[in-house]
Amino acid sequence: MSEAVLRTENLTKRFGGLTAVDNLDISLAGGRVHAIIGPNGAGKTTFFNLVTGLLRPDSGRIFFRGRDITGWRPHAISRLGIKRTLQVKSVFPDLSVADNLWITRQARNRFLHPFRPAASDLAAKSQVEETLEQIGLAALAARAAGTLSYGDVAMLEIGMAVISEPSLLLLDEPTCGMSPAETSRAVAKIRDLARTIDIVIIEHDMDVVFGIADDITVLAQGAILASGSPATIADDERVREAYLGRPEDEDFVEEAAHA
Amino acid sequence: MTRRSLEMGMAVGAATFLIAVPWLIPALLDRFWVSVITEILIWSLFASSANLLFGYVGLLSFGQALYFGFGMYGVAFGIDHLGLSFWPAFGLGIISAMAMALFSGVFAVRLSWHYFAIITVVFSLIFYFLAVSMKPLTGGDDGINFSLPPVFKLGTKVFSLTDPTFQYFFILAVVSLCFFLMYRVINSPLGRGFLAIRNNDLRASLIGLNVYVLRLIAFVMAGFLAGVSGALFAFFGRYASATYMFYQVSGEAVVWTIVGGAGTMFGPLVGTSLFIVIREIVSSHWEHHSLIVGLLAILAVIFAPKGIVGLWNDWMTRLDARDAAASAPPRLTLRANP
Repeated sequence: MSEAVLRTENLTKRFGGLTAVDNLDISLAGGRVHAIIGPNGAGKTTFFNLVTGLLRPDSGRIFFRGRDITGWRPHAISRLGIKRTLQVKSVFPDLSVADNLWITRQARNRFLHPFRPAASDLAAKSQVEETLEQIGLAALAARAAGTLSYGDVAMLEIGMAVISEPSLLLLDEPTCGMSPAETSRAVAKIRDLARTIDIVIIEHDMDVVFGIADDITVLAQGAILASGSPATIADDERVREAYLGRPEDEDFVEEAAHA
Repeated sequence: MTRRSLEMGMAVGAATFLIAVPWLIPALLDRFWVSVITEILIWSLFASSANLLFGYVGLLSFGQALYFGFGMYGVAFGIDHLGLSFWPAFGLGIISAMAMALFSGVFAVRLSWHYFAIITVVFSLIFYFLAVSMKPLTGGDDGINFSLPPVFKLGTKVFSLTDPTFQYFFILAVVSLCFFLMYRVINSPLGRGFLAIRNNDLRASLIGLNVYVLRLIAFVMAGFLAGVSGALFAFFGRYASATYMFYQVSGEAVVWTIVGGAGTMFGPLVGTSLFIVIREIVSSHWEHHSLIVGLLAILAVIFAPKGIVGLWNDWMTRLDARDAAASAPPRLTLRANP
């Protein structure tokens, strides 16, 4: 088996008395779409924050393609090709949609030219246009990102992830707040991306999870409760129990079990 | 009239006015106003250093006077203590301002918002009190006076800032060059990086921008602008004084920028012109002219948070939208149901 794309050893993060991520050993193989699910407070987003350097672990190590990235700064991790979207959608609100994509593409370069006009980079310009078409926001290119609808902002975030040409993409509830039409557009885009990029996705919408994931890891209280193929997870008794306290989530698992 | 042609017309008008100042102003008003306009040019360059940080990178600095002061003292030390000629002294002023900005920036740009504002004030206060207390070296509040070396010689003709017309054009040229450099930076990939950081520094770091280094670059660039303006002011006044390092001077740059329009190229120029003209007109009749400054600042923050230039831009955008709506063919057509 090839080297895991993302692997953690004894990863732990505490917030005061709360252990958000508890001695987590996770290993995600390349070439597959991994979904991380679990009840609220299971430590899913904290796990992403640890991987992308927004938080420092209290103990444990994180390896990206065999390279120890524990304690690296966010921009350095980003430059390795680990890109992410955020749970609360995060773009550059005052910049236009096109400029959001443009600067994201440009950030791949170490050097930002201080004097050349930004508009003169034709390769970047055509890549921005191409991405705008892909995410269906071409008509809104000149609009300030802060004036977009929530679903469009979520789409733009996916576009920013695409144009940054990641090698590992972490998606934190990408379809949250999207209309059904937008969700299916986003799911199609994610499936398309998964052919070339390794993807880890946190998602509450079980239709989305069971629609795109090859492997599912269930977190509860910062530790792995179960992991395996969608079919095994849907049948897992412990997973059902973990969701029992939350009836609305139980419906998802039920539904998924019959999917 | 379209927005573009209107703004081009204004730019050409402003440029023509600035070039005509040495002849126009004495004819219309008084020679004194030429030096007021020269001072406006210098202080607007100083204000744009605060603008580069606040308007484009999102760092509110209340300590730009420190780099202005280093620009001044670099020139005065160079000429008075080291016996340098014009250009090396000018260079020394700029370099010392940038070096100081690099040194304090290393600590300051780690912080953001109020912590950043506080540390910039603290740095400038420390060096203000040092400068005041080291009287033998800096002259303290009295400052260092020096006599101007010539700018350059052309054959037998000597060009010096003692000629008021040459001084005006020299300062106009340097300030214009700095504004042009800033314009290039703002519209470059680096400038977009600055804007991205001002907008959302978390997202900026996640797309791979080194927020710390970019903020530090901006801080040193702002130090350059403040240093050039300080050096020009030293040449203009033929002296350097610790009073110009006080944080009130930094605060004025912030107020001018905000009233004129932070995050716009010419906001600082508009704000600075407004306040200096008010000061010059009112101060001879009424000593509390700073009350007007305070009142205007409050009004601007409440009613024009993007400043005067921001108001203008909004107004132009609305005009554009109206023109576009008027010229576009009607989009809705009624169609009978099949």
